[in-house]
Amino acid sequence: MELVVRPLVALALLGACVVAALVATHSLSLALLAAVLLALLLRAPWRRARLYLLGIVVSSFGLFLIWPLTAHVGSHPLWNGPILPVLGSIDVTSEELAAGAVQTLRLATVALAFAVWALRLDHDRIVREARLARRSVLTVALATRLIPTLERDAAGFVEALRGRGVAVEGVRGRSRLLAPLVASSLERALTLAESMEARGYGRSGRPLRARSRLNWRERAALAFSLLLVVISLLWL
Amino acid sequence: MSALIARVEKLAFAYPETSVAALTDISLELEGGEVVLVLGRSGSGKSTLLRALAGLVPHFHGGRFSGSVSVAGYDTRSTAPAALAGTVATLFQDPEDQIVFERVASEVAFGPENLGLQPGEVMKRVESSLAAVGAEHLLERTTRDLSGGELQRVCLASALALEPELLLLDEPTSQLDPEGAEAFLELVGRLARERGMAVVLSEQRPALPLEICDRVLFLERGRLLLDASHAQAVRWLEESAPDFVEPFEPVTRQVGDPGEVTCRIEGVGYAYRPATPVLENVSLEIRRGEIVALAGPNGSGKTTLAKLACGLLEAQEGRVERWGRASYLSQYPGRYVVCERAEDEVALGIGGDLSRARRWLDELGLGGSERRHPRDLSSGERERLGLATVLATEPDLLVLDEPTRGVDPGRKRELGELLQAGASGRATLLVSHDLAFARSIADRVVSLAKQEALVGA
Repeated sequence: MELVVRPLVALALLGACVVAALVATHSLSLALLAAVLLALLLRAPWRRARLYLLGIVVSSFGLFLIWPLTAHVGSHPLWNGPILPVLGSIDVTSEELAAGAVQTLRLATVALAFAVWALRLDHDRIVREARLARRSVLTVALATRLIPTLERDAAGFVEALRGRGVAVEGVRGRSRLLAPLVASSLERALTLAESMEARGYGRSGRPLRARSRLNWRERAALAFSLLLVVISLLWL
Repeated sequence: MSALIARVEKLAFAYPETSVAALTDISLELEGGEVVLVLGRSGSGKSTLLRALAGLVPHFHGGRFSGSVSVAGYDTRSTAPAALAGTVATLFQDPEDQIVFERVASEVAFGPENLGLQPGEVMKRVESSLAAVGAEHLLERTTRDLSGGELQRVCLASALALEPELLLLDEPTSQLDPEGAEAFLELVGRLARERGMAVVLSEQRPALPLEICDRVLFLERGRLLLDASHAQAVRWLEESAPDFVEPFEPVTRQVGDPGEVTCRIEGVGYAYRPATPVLENVSLEIRRGEIVALAGPNGSGKTTLAKLACGLLEAQEGRVERWGRASYLSQYPGRYVVCERAEDEVALGIGGDLSRARRWLDELGLGGSERRHPRDLSSGERERLGLATVLATEPDLLVLDEPTRGVDPGRKRELGELLQAGASGRATLLVSHDLAFARSIADRVVSLAKQEALVGA
């Protein structure tokens, strides 16, 4: 599915969404941003998008549960709980719920922007067209690919264990795979680094591609990105 | 007379934090247009020699290096591997682990772009190198959707796009079926002659590469025992390392009447994606005491059938019945280790029974490594550890997926004997591209064709 603007411009738009999400304080503005990004994400293949959606839902829901219990603001209590040694008074106020909702939407918006970057943007083109910090851009693109690779590796571990009759169930069973997954990723990263070096990565004198002119959509998108940042700083 | 491409003089190397030398006193020369086959047992130093020729040893790996390696006049000690990239190209063992980009075109362009070529020249090289390996139709594909064989070709195209004078191939056919491997090696031989580049390839299945190579090197414990022309090398191998050239002789064993049925597969169908079935209407029966080998080209569904047989996948059509415990050894057992000690890794599947785990480690030549971290073992040792983890479960149905991948002929023979020794007490289903090995130990070889019904042989 092709985007109507080049990936670098789409990246600028996503960056503006992230800035807006970080500075906006109104839940309605955040909800609107999240809805737009969700709509973009849902146009990616479902089998790839569902993992990201699951992660976003779980982390956002977790934050929404934890926030009112750890924050201590507001004068309209909805529930009074016990006093715990480190956390103090565990209670829930309507102000804490509202603040929790804003933080949850903020987290969800930033995570959705990352998911759109991971699934909808052509990273190859971004790396090749980047004129600044190309190594960092390549590193981020490779790190993004780590997520599906980890998913495949995790499936491989589960299969290898089931093949020996070892069931991998529950949080404890799956958490056992965390260290091997990290070790496996590090091994893979070493092989990749070796292969990249053998193919000349790091040599100086790589010519830049000729810069093509932005079309009207791209100019409009860049202007909108700028406008979004300004609006979010002033009013959202 | 062909041009001298590389010269290695008195090369010795040891990896960091090891006292054992990986290479000792290696001297050789490589000329343009020749195909040199490097043979040797696991851990003999084949991959290290290739890395030394690419400058990755010592630059990338560190370690103690003495002697000299020069490629096209560049001393690899004073020239970084990235600077050698237009002169040397390397294809590593596992193509999946060397992919940088999402699209084939970007992947093949990566090397030429790093060389500083102009975009027009980069595109020309991308197209010509993909055409050279017969993969021009893959140009717009994404790398994650390619099969193992296609990925191997794309990686070779990426190496060729650097237009190297020296091409290094580390077990390039380990993931290919026999037809794919033959086509790949013929292509490499043709390209070496057409382009005048030197090709050095290491292999564990020597029969096919021996047919196309001009020269053979044989390494043992890091020492070069042989550097000879093809004809001389074959004679030397027949005398000194016969398991590398002799056809794999069937291991004789007393085959009684097969026992009861352990696994019955009836009219099974399976598809990972709608409308593209991998298996359709497949039936197979495996009895206790039998060794059944499953052969067929890449993508014919061998692994899928093996997983259905042992219950890792549920059939979408048809029926699979099993009696007793089934164990499955995946294609990359060394990669999927989860414990911090080898004995715990084996004990995991047998309720923590450490004494039984140690017995099986001993049985597979890993005695003394019980408390070592599995990831500190060599790749060959890790493969054997993987085998120990499933054999220790003493299954009624043992399913092994490509157990000879990357295994040298000597170890392969030992594996064959081991599987034969315990065959009477279980049913064994073996998935393998290595037909010689499969035929030598199996009672039946069953061939799968792409999306076609099963043919027993």
